[in-house]
Amino acid sequence: MKVLVINAGSSSLKYQLYNMLDESVLAKGKVERIGMETAMLSHEVPHQPEVTVVAEILDHTSAIRRVVTALIHPEHGVVKQIEEIEAVGHRVVHGGETFSSSVMVNSEVRQEIRRLFDLAPLHNPAHMMGIIAVESALPLVPQAVVFDTAFHQSMPPESYLYPIPMVLYNKHKVRRYGFHGTSHAYVSERAAAFLERPIEQLKMITCHIGNGASCTAILNGKSHDTSMGMTPLEGLMMGTRSGDLDPAIVPYVMAKEDLTINEVNSMLNKHSGLIAISGISSDVREIEQAMHAGDHNAKLAYEMYVYRLRKYIGSYTAAMNGLDVLVFTAGVGENSATVREKVCTQLSFFGIELDSQANLRPERGERRISSNQSRVQVLVIPTNEELVIARDTYQLIANAKMNS
Amino acid sequence: MMKINKIGVIGAGTMGQGIAEMLAIKGIEVFLVEKTPEKLDQAWNMIVISLDKQIEKWAITITEKKLILSKIHKINKFSRLSECDMVIETISEDLDAKLDVFLELDNICPPHVILASNTSTLSLTELANSTEHPERVIGLHFLHPVSKIHLVEIIRGLKTSEDTLQKTKNFVEEIIQKKGIMVNESPGFVTTRLICTLINEAMHVLNEGVASAEDIDSAMRIGYDFHYGPLEMADRFGLDAVLAAMDRMFREFGELKYRPSFLLKKMVRAGNLGMKTGEGFFSYDKDGDRIL
Repeated sequence: MKVLVINAGSSSLKYQLYNMLDESVLAKGKVERIGMETAMLSHEVPHQPEVTVVAEILDHTSAIRRVVTALIHPEHGVVKQIEEIEAVGHRVVHGGETFSSSVMVNSEVRQEIRRLFDLAPLHNPAHMMGIIAVESALPLVPQAVVFDTAFHQSMPPESYLYPIPMVLYNKHKVRRYGFHGTSHAYVSERAAAFLERPIEQLKMITCHIGNGASCTAILNGKSHDTSMGMTPLEGLMMGTRSGDLDPAIVPYVMAKEDLTINEVNSMLNKHSGLIAISGISSDVREIEQAMHAGDHNAKLAYEMYVYRLRKYIGSYTAAMNGLDVLVFTAGVGENSATVREKVCTQLSFFGIELDSQANLRPERGERRISSNQSRVQVLVIPTNEELVIARDTYQLIANAKMNS
Repeated sequence: MMKINKIGVIGAGTMGQGIAEMLAIKGIEVFLVEKTPEKLDQAWNMIVISLDKQIEKWAITITEKKLILSKIHKINKFSRLSECDMVIETISEDLDAKLDVFLELDNICPPHVILASNTSTLSLTELANSTEHPERVIGLHFLHPVSKIHLVEIIRGLKTSEDTLQKTKNFVEEIIQKKGIMVNESPGFVTTRLICTLINEAMHVLNEGVASAEDIDSAMRIGYDFHYGPLEMADRFGLDAVLAAMDRMFREFGELKYRPSFLLKKMVRAGNLGMKTGEGFFSYDKDGDRIL
């Protein structure tokens, strides 16, 4: 059985086709600049050169049609006929309080995703366009949706509520939702499997540090608290996002600099974080290079970045009254040995002892980087959100078949 | 739902620049037209300056600026406008010049293309009547600064069709996400009629020595939560534009309450046109900021 995984943005669309018999990726690619005459499809099949097509692709439906054409193409296609694609799984950023797991798409689900537009105005409308596009391009294929917020629905109220008037929660659903849930769920399961220990008995902190970054306290396999909040702006310092700050700064700066809501939003989301402090880049690799070359601002940005991450690990350890496993994942978490080292060497007080050589080894797969004496296991687990979406979709289809 | 991917903007003055920039930010391809390549380049530079100001205010990033500029195309030939889904005319408030533009657009653009005018005072019905397809002519009155003011007056001329009206309404509310108010053609519509009357009255108050310019503006700004007081607003619109609007309404309605204040006429004759000349009721630097 083959499952197509789709991540639809407002003017782009990424896809991966999985063969679920062995969970291998048959093809992947993306369509960029949707809505323009010079839209581009890049299609990649393992062990073959990448194919790119520039064409007029004016909406998501035409984009999906192009993807389908590429997948069944006689030369660089990977399936003979379109019927071989048995299901489509979509990534959806916001599932609100309604969705605590992945679901099959039906009219109620569609309606609910629409209702959540307010909470994720940049993402959910784009995902919806992806879902509608698949419906019109592949009308007979069942679709599933996998939410970034679903895993965190297990958080208790003391974690997800903000200490502000309750009426704001009741009226507008202002609360912590958390993001990167698919990734936190996946790496925590993999970590338990790697250690051959039951996840139900572990206190774990997973650090998903990439372009966006979030930390999750996972108690007995369930999300107990997470650093991103109602929006992905809260929590850790990120490439261009501020993360935590005193909320009173927002009205103060708006008044002092005569900023609009839109401007202050953009300031905190796009002009803050590493780029704001370093003045150089939002990319940790470039910050590391500049720091080694002696740039003071880069060093300050880096120190702040690591310091804030360390504080979160500390507070989540306190929140769970202990820590068994610390997991690093995503771009920075998987690749920056220095960030991991900076974080871990200053947490020896918790019983974290890094194996510096293991940490530095340029490996790719799942690995342990703590020493044998370390009371806390420190792991690097590469994340794979697309695979989770494919698996969930596959599982939902299988269940639906069993029930019918 | 109608797809709108390309919009022609004719006239790249202050409003044309603002409209072009706002449309490009919304991801729409803009064909910007001016009389001469020099004027077009000048308009382009003003848009670049405006985007740079937004970067300073953290509203956009350098990458976003590039993306926005890549959507604005400088066009020297009117004929290219046939590719557009909609054309917005925003040249100076000169009826004859506008009539020429609409006549030409009517010849070039296929009948389904909506032809909109950003006029703030002229008669849509009169503009439409110069064309073969008056049913597709409509008024779209944007306010300055276009990207910050989320209101558009949608003006229906006598022959504007229901279809044109609905498509335009959809464009305003869904695509550029502004509040559209429906106005039946009438001199000054709603916005210009009300605000210019207030501005004119403020000038009477000043001229009569009732209060100082500063205090008149404070009264409305602080007392009634205006962003700018009426006199600073006049400076920012351009006193010549305010005078033109008052003259037009005075002529059309024939009522004394629209008669332009003598002070306004005097200042326009002296060339103190407000922000754009640096002097009006108040003084301004070259960035348009008040000198206090």
